[in-house]
Amino acid sequence: MNVLGIGAVFAGGIGIKSFEKALVAGWQKPVDMEAKWAASGKYPVYQANLDDVPDKTILKKVRRADRLSKMAVICAADAVKDSGIRDINREKVGVIVATAFGAHVTTFGFLDNILDFGETAVSPTIFSNSVHNAAASYVSSSLDIKGPTLTITQFRFSFQSALQLALVWLQQKRCDYVLAGAVDQFGDVLCYVADRKLTTAQDSRIKPFVFKPTFQVPGEGAIFYILGREKMEKTYCTVQSVMINDNTSQGAGTDVTIIDADGMLPDESAYLACADSGALLAAYSPLFGTMMTGSAFNVAAGALMLSKQRYYPNPVQDNPRGLRILTDSGPANIAAIECVGYDCHSTRAAVRLIAK
Amino acid sequence: MSETSILITGMGAVSAAGDTIPETLATFERGQRNAGPVTRFPTKLTYPVFEVKNLPSRYYLEGQRTLSLALIAVDQALAEADLGDVSGLRIGVCMGTTVASQLNDLQFYTSYRERDEAPMTAVDRFLKGNLAEVISRKLKARGPALTVVNACSSGTDAIGVALSWLRSGLCDIALAGGADELNHVPYCGFGSLGIVNPGLCAPFDRDRKGLNLGEGAGVVVLEKTTAARKRGRSSELVLLGYGSSSDAYHLTAPSPDGVGLKASLRTALDEAGIKPEEVGFVNAHGTGTHDNDLVEGNTLAGIFGKDLKMLSTKGYTGHTLGAAGGLEAVFTALGLREGWIPASAGFSNQDDAIALAPVRVKTEVGGYYAISTSLAFGGNNAALVIGRGVRE
Repeated sequence: MNVLGIGAVFAGGIGIKSFEKALVAGWQKPVDMEAKWAASGKYPVYQANLDDVPDKTILKKVRRADRLSKMAVICAADAVKDSGIRDINREKVGVIVATAFGAHVTTFGFLDNILDFGETAVSPTIFSNSVHNAAASYVSSSLDIKGPTLTITQFRFSFQSALQLALVWLQQKRCDYVLAGAVDQFGDVLCYVADRKLTTAQDSRIKPFVFKPTFQVPGEGAIFYILGREKMEKTYCTVQSVMINDNTSQGAGTDVTIIDADGMLPDESAYLACADSGALLAAYSPLFGTMMTGSAFNVAAGALMLSKQRYYPNPVQDNPRGLRILTDSGPANIAAIECVGYDCHSTRAAVRLIAK
Repeated sequence: MSETSILITGMGAVSAAGDTIPETLATFERGQRNAGPVTRFPTKLTYPVFEVKNLPSRYYLEGQRTLSLALIAVDQALAEADLGDVSGLRIGVCMGTTVASQLNDLQFYTSYRERDEAPMTAVDRFLKGNLAEVISRKLKARGPALTVVNACSSGTDAIGVALSWLRSGLCDIALAGGADELNHVPYCGFGSLGIVNPGLCAPFDRDRKGLNLGEGAGVVVLEKTTAARKRGRSSELVLLGYGSSSDAYHLTAPSPDGVGLKASLRTALDEAGIKPEEVGFVNAHGTGTHDNDLVEGNTLAGIFGKDLKMLSTKGYTGHTLGAAGGLEAVFTALGLREGWIPASAGFSNQDDAIALAPVRVKTEVGGYYAISTSLAFGGNNAALVIGRGVRE
């Protein structure tokens, strides 16, 4: 399965070029969100920047959609555009949207409706947008895609599960292309939950190589991929395998291992096993924030590295164990990258990318 | 039956129609409709619902009713499949739901709104309640786990995903289906959409006034022929095809020309390698809403002809949302196995705008193939082809 196009929506802007720019530029301070429950009244977040949508016509198609769906549609359209593929048989394009929390902000908006106006005066529009697959529906209707359209949620491994299914759909020729991606949004309630259950970084820096204690800064955004069986002119890389709950070692021959460490777990020491292969270690969560679906961004970083044959330095390089981490930007000769995530049960997921 | 066939070796179902499959069949035979007022939560709304009564105490999980329902169906399906200890086996778990995917606890949110703080109990339940993950972990299975949240087609899509997993070799056995509890939030939400019947639903009827909500779970055990044979098992029921297509039309309304449903049926039939005339009956989505039944009825008539034997089982279960596809796949397989389908409860008068009508009485069905369809919010359509083969 080949990565033919990538769309991105995150704190650094819209588009894979913005993401690459952020990888080169390094760490940026998050913004402060008003938080009535925080002692300071403010809370750091990596808020997606939707100020500069390149294709304004797409916004008309989602004018009644909530922020989560807008992020998904803008990102998915961006991936299609980035691929440069024309004349797609849209009945043979599948859509898989991975999300950990879905339209939770809209769901709480609907609960506000119930509490404020009563059961008989709630908004049908808010309810419709709160349904978990609304974002996928907006993606398919906005882009006129008529293949199988699926929304999945598996918390930490939602994105890897989407990639794994895309691989199967392509192998079985259920689809010619799959538009697969992840989208998640933060809101004040989720930030409150994150603050209660995790430790928020006082200096706003996620430190992926500290492992314990860990520090989080919530993020939001979307990454979508156009995936296909055949290589094309603009092919970023090949997805060689997606392994979930399967600890078969794939480390041999890996040049770079990108880890999903982002402060989501109080102890991220499981990632230390990734250092055993001798591959260079990278983690880009300090660019987009702590997200259950953050692996989608790390895979995009891997795809860019393989496509451009260029190293991107770790945005935060605190490294108390002296691990072999990527510190500098520059040309590279990379054959294989593994993107590794762990959940709270120490279950491992690995996406292995190889150069085209 | 070929070496690569995907057998249905176990089934489980719990709904207002019955806590077990034998109870459900008895309810179907009697044409009994166990609807009533909401007892699950306080409400001023009076739409009747199909609740599961008498949840066995050993399955009770505080604030995780959807998971409880799922586990009941899983245990029934595993018992029928007679799998024994499954730890370490390559078992995939794919479950559809809607309610279990949302943190919509009114008590938690009210506390947050009013006091700027809230206990984490509801959050913990939510984070520990991902259906596929919990079931997979409980079984100590070694295989993919995935929760599908495709609104009303979630259960059908979950079974379709499991079929793809098995064919690709990602697992040898799969547990798949759907589960959903009756919940206050969608109860209000569907009410706001104006598609809930103040009385009992009447799918495909001329005077239909909307759906009734329900709850339940339906699960199948799917197994490669080779895996089943290794343990000396077989089954006459086979999952043969899955199709899924998007209307790309509207967030809540089906495309009037049924384009997505046609495409999903075409894919499912092609995958099964059969023709429409070979299909013995269709267990339709049939919600009892004006638009769904109009589009679905005419699409089915266009593909299968006006003489198709067709029914909706939602008159017995209500619309169980994420569970519907799982339950209806089980009911479809039961129809093939038992050789009869129940009367399409609630149907009395044919709608002249719909080119076919569901069965009015318990009806014998022949043939080797049947179809279950689902149409969902968001314009998603899904279809499964189930076959009854010859026991090896």
